[in-house]
Amino acid sequence: MNEQKAVASRHWKSTLYYTVLWVIVLIYFFPVLWIILSAFKTKNELLATPPVWFFRPTLENFIGLFHRDNFWPTFFNSLTISLSSVGIAIVVSFLAAYALSRFKIVGSDFILFLILSIRMVPGAAVVVPVYLMYAALGWKDSFWPMTFFYAMFSIPFSLWILKGFMDGVSVRFDETGLANNASRFHIIFKVILPQVKPGLIAAFVFNMIFVWNEFLFNFILGGKQTTMIPTLLVSDSVHEGGVDWTFVASLGAIYLVPPVVALYFFQKYLLVGMTFGTVRGEV
Amino acid sequence: MRRIENSKLYPWLLLTPTLIFFAIWNIVPLFWMVGMSFYNYSLNLGRPPRFVGFDNYTDYLDSVDVWLAMSRTFTFVIFSVGLTTLFGGILGVLFWRSTKMPGRRLALTLLFSPMILTPAAIGTFFRLNYDPTFGIFGYFTRLFTGHTLDYLGTEGWAFIALLAVDVWMWTPFMLLITLAALGSVPSAELEAAEVDRLSIWRRFRYVILPHARFIIMLGIILRTIDAFKVTDLVYQLTRGGPGGTTEVIGVMIYRKAFDALTMGWTSGLAVITLLTAIAFTAIFLYILNLQKRRRALK
Repeated sequence: MNEQKAVASRHWKSTLYYTVLWVIVLIYFFPVLWIILSAFKTKNELLATPPVWFFRPTLENFIGLFHRDNFWPTFFNSLTISLSSVGIAIVVSFLAAYALSRFKIVGSDFILFLILSIRMVPGAAVVVPVYLMYAALGWKDSFWPMTFFYAMFSIPFSLWILKGFMDGVSVRFDETGLANNASRFHIIFKVILPQVKPGLIAAFVFNMIFVWNEFLFNFILGGKQTTMIPTLLVSDSVHEGGVDWTFVASLGAIYLVPPVVALYFFQKYLLVGMTFGTVRGEV
Repeated sequence: MRRIENSKLYPWLLLTPTLIFFAIWNIVPLFWMVGMSFYNYSLNLGRPPRFVGFDNYTDYLDSVDVWLAMSRTFTFVIFSVGLTTLFGGILGVLFWRSTKMPGRRLALTLLFSPMILTPAAIGTFFRLNYDPTFGIFGYFTRLFTGHTLDYLGTEGWAFIALLAVDVWMWTPFMLLITLAALGSVPSAELEAAEVDRLSIWRRFRYVILPHARFIIMLGIILRTIDAFKVTDLVYQLTRGGPGGTTEVIGVMIYRKAFDALTMGWTSGLAVITLLTAIAFTAIFLYILNLQKRRRALK
């Protein structure tokens, strides 16, 4: 009898504990949730005071957004620029990571340090010289210079993650391969690559998010041909003197779907992703 | 093929693409910027750059604006890092034992999402939320105090409002770090502490902290670097206003370069910021290597 009571009380305690946690989560997420809800309101409901809590959801804002002539080009820019730049960055840094992990290279620590520092500098300090260079060379507002810039932007992170994962793969694999007369090329792509797949996935997913999110460089170095979603969100939010809130809410809601979905499916890589591969562990 | 692979230059061959990227997009702009910092060059005057030596650098020493922006940045960094560490730590301890929570993955996704959204969008969202008439925060303020308060347009409040958004965005990061740090404590030691009936404080001090310390330190430094970088968020929320009270160093560089178009003067300031960031990175790596060395000794 007593045992049953103890089990029941433990059950109640854990239910209460999880309820409290869920309430915290929902309060925390509320500012984002509010924007998502706002995207489904009419303009009058969105700007109503007091705020409207219950309303009939409408897709009007999204339909309006899809009919703007700059929405689809911007969307495809975001997609193509982030895919191609991250693709390039991963290939380039995969090779470099192998070299830095397997060979004793003079100054390799220094190379890794310099490359990491790039990502630690405030964007505003980097964008000034890059702007001067792009303006002088006439590279502003064109696809490949923008893509290559973002590839550079993604390399430090990918290199650090991939090197971390490769250091975890024993050199024995390379030695066995070499002893069996396999080529380095074979070892790199057929032996090592499958074993660092988690690193490749983490580097790919998080760099996609970072490039998809990037605003400052796109805003300064870009133009009509290369506008991406965050830039559109910022530059087109002001309309006829006031802020066009239905536009902000609907584009914002579309913008945040890919990162949040990626976060759900690749949650176990988040720790590696946010610490440049320096901290491992389960969360 | 084999000849190439056995040559001493082979590793450098693998590194070449990275080094090319590094040279074109970092070394060249860097030298450009350092060179430009010795010139007086404004884009709007249409005059060729004029060499001024170290004038730009001595100008920062005399400039009240630069000192104010620096002190604002450091105030921002201290409060942002301190508060995110505090809240992240509390949430981390709360969520530590939640492995059996129903819908945990979804809950953590929602909780972590602020830090993976772009500051540009977050800033725009919060402009709406903070709006004194239409915003949800403006509404609650009116409901509870009876006054209308324009957080982002009032000196004194704008900095706090900005800090609040930043803390909201980055507390999940310190939560993540805390969870990882707590996860690095061996469960055998925790159970031993349980059996020995150590007090909570002693458990924390002698069992958890020695293991968790390293990850937490790395987290705090990464957080410091990120708080120091803040630009997009401020630009989108307040543009450095009202009355310059939220003009941190990143925003100052942006405004001097692209609103005032004084490229020479701004380049020098960017060089100083760059050196500061490199110093932070060196500290980060120092701690990282410290831990590696300790592990190697064991």
